[in-house]
Amino acid sequence: MSEPLLSKTQGGDPWKARIDRVFARALVLPLFLALALLSWLLLDTLYRSFSVQVVRSDVGLSQTFPLGTAWQEALRAALLQEGYTEEEAEAMLKDSKELRALLNQNRVELMWNTHEGPLRYVVTGSYDERVLDLPLLQGLRRWEELKAGLGEGERLVLNPWLDQTFFTRFPSRNPLIAGMGVAVVGTVWVLTLALLIAIPVGVGTAILLEEYLREGRLNRILEVNLRNLAGVPSIVYGLLGLAFFVREMGFGPTILAAALTLALLGIPVITVTAREALRAVPESQRQAAFALGATRRQVVFRVVLPAALPGVVTGVILSAARLIGEAAPLLLVGAAAYVPFYPSGPLSEYTVIPVQIYLWVSQPQPEFARVAAAGILVMLLVLSGLYLAALYLRNRFRREW
Amino acid sequence: MELLRQAPSRNPKEVLTFALLVLLGAVTLLTTLGVVLSLLGEVVEFFRRVPLTEFLFAPEWTPLFAEPRYGIAPLIAGTLLVTVIALTVAIPLGLALAIYISELAPHRVRARVMGILELFEGIPTVVLGYFALLTVTPFLQKFIPGLQIFNPLSAGLVMGFAIIPYVSNVAADAMQSVPRAIREAAYALGARPYEVALRVVFPAAISGIIAAIILATSRAIGETMIVAIAAGQRPTLTLDPRETIATMTSFIVQAATGDQPAGSTASLALFAVGATLFLMTLGLNILAQYVVERYRERYE
Repeated sequence: MSEPLLSKTQGGDPWKARIDRVFARALVLPLFLALALLSWLLLDTLYRSFSVQVVRSDVGLSQTFPLGTAWQEALRAALLQEGYTEEEAEAMLKDSKELRALLNQNRVELMWNTHEGPLRYVVTGSYDERVLDLPLLQGLRRWEELKAGLGEGERLVLNPWLDQTFFTRFPSRNPLIAGMGVAVVGTVWVLTLALLIAIPVGVGTAILLEEYLREGRLNRILEVNLRNLAGVPSIVYGLLGLAFFVREMGFGPTILAAALTLALLGIPVITVTAREALRAVPESQRQAAFALGATRRQVVFRVVLPAALPGVVTGVILSAARLIGEAAPLLLVGAAAYVPFYPSGPLSEYTVIPVQIYLWVSQPQPEFARVAAAGILVMLLVLSGLYLAALYLRNRFRREW
Repeated sequence: MELLRQAPSRNPKEVLTFALLVLLGAVTLLTTLGVVLSLLGEVVEFFRRVPLTEFLFAPEWTPLFAEPRYGIAPLIAGTLLVTVIALTVAIPLGLALAIYISELAPHRVRARVMGILELFEGIPTVVLGYFALLTVTPFLQKFIPGLQIFNPLSAGLVMGFAIIPYVSNVAADAMQSVPRAIREAAYALGARPYEVALRVVFPAAISGIIAAIILATSRAIGETMIVAIAAGQRPTLTLDPRETIATMTSFIVQAATGDQPAGSTASLALFAVGATLFLMTLGLNILAQYVVERYRERYE
């Protein structure tokens, strides 16, 4: 890429010079629009992930617990309040199966502020009901008024929807206790398997195209095919996955079917980036290796590939970031299911983060928008982590030949 | 800089490596074959039950009703409506950015702008759909009376921003490949930078720019999550951007997340719509390649 030929000292028509300045400014406008939109999105999502709530508990548990309390203590107190005896509560907390069931239905979370003071633990049960859900500022303005008006068994909390238990909670029909634990584990499973398939195929195809067949009929066919594959909408891959992996191969709506579908989607992307990385290795490196008597395999795998590795890895990370956000194809291969347990292997049912977000967004209760906002924050955090890693690799290992 | 063609090696390790790589490369070919075959089987079965004329000309798309109609026109109309709105945003903004990146931006700034675009491209579309439905629509409802909660307008606007990078990257590449000598000649004749950009570089790169627009159109047609979330799932034959509509992609999502038994006509309809979508995007991609090949200005 060349430096632009901009000369500032041109004379001539002052009108033209003026047009020029306006022109230059107008061209940058879209960038600022895009940035403004991006900031709007982020701030809005962040704001939506907090709310001031009045929640009513059927068993009348409006009690909150101070910061020092272990969550077991809070849970025990909640159980006592519900009418269990001291021994029964103790036994339930000791039994791991019982405890898991308990944690499925009750959420112990740290609220930023409550009617009993700031930073206290609150136990939310699956039958707890929201009485009021106000946006942050409005809720804070009316805090005292709401506090005064609390009824029996009602509590007032400033709820940060994205808190530490959000990552481990299971999906739920009650937005108060819904979490994305299952979706996080599902995403890790699906993405890992998909990359295990897509990386060898994508990088292998790139090596084939760049190092073995630089021209010829096979090269042309593969290249045209790849270009067209990259242009196929991702949802069509979902249809392929549904017809072939889910039904034909009989995998059903499982992690395996999802991983294979996602792998097919990732292969063209990885191939393109890997080819670019291979192409950046100068011809002289190959010639030097050949001159030393290396075979083509040795040249490719001991000289070219190691030199291109940082570029390849960067490309893989960026492709992974792209794949994490894919919801459409996975909706077709079973990710939309309600899965109230952690996946145990490639053949278990699953859901993934973006699909979970889609399901939350399409729920009618308005609090699910807050749950979705919390989910989106998690996903954007993960993605920024991946982008930073890619950026770091790109800069750290950049080589000038 | 082609290396000397080596005689094919007989060393088994070499042959094996090559065979393995060809095998991996074949996976990509098999994928295409898989897409075509998996669509074809179900589509043939669909058209055995629903006549082609019904599919093409019936004015309603109601496969989930008791008395189903299978006219794809409302879905195509919905898709085109969203696509046109998205392109109205993406073409001017994307081309402006492309000119900036290719002609005006200093080297450092250019890298930064490309980085921002890459970031923009990386936002999951489900996030953009959420944004369109929960933020943009309520905002627009203040100004536009009669705007439904689910509407193609906000879906299209947000999608427009999402496809800006596709327009600007391809178009900027095309402008970059216009030789520097042509710009220098124009400057030598006393042209201002805006004249060089608009009247010299732009026309010279027009084939690439048209290809960029076609590719962005193909993207917009295939875009799924934004429309599935924000544009609604009610097939309506309308051009009013305030009405709830459905697109081909949003129907596929709707049908896939419901539970029609495999083999029912409604579930086959999924594949018929998918095949239509596939053919449209494939056609556009091929058209884009043709335009680039056919109308490219060649410089020696």
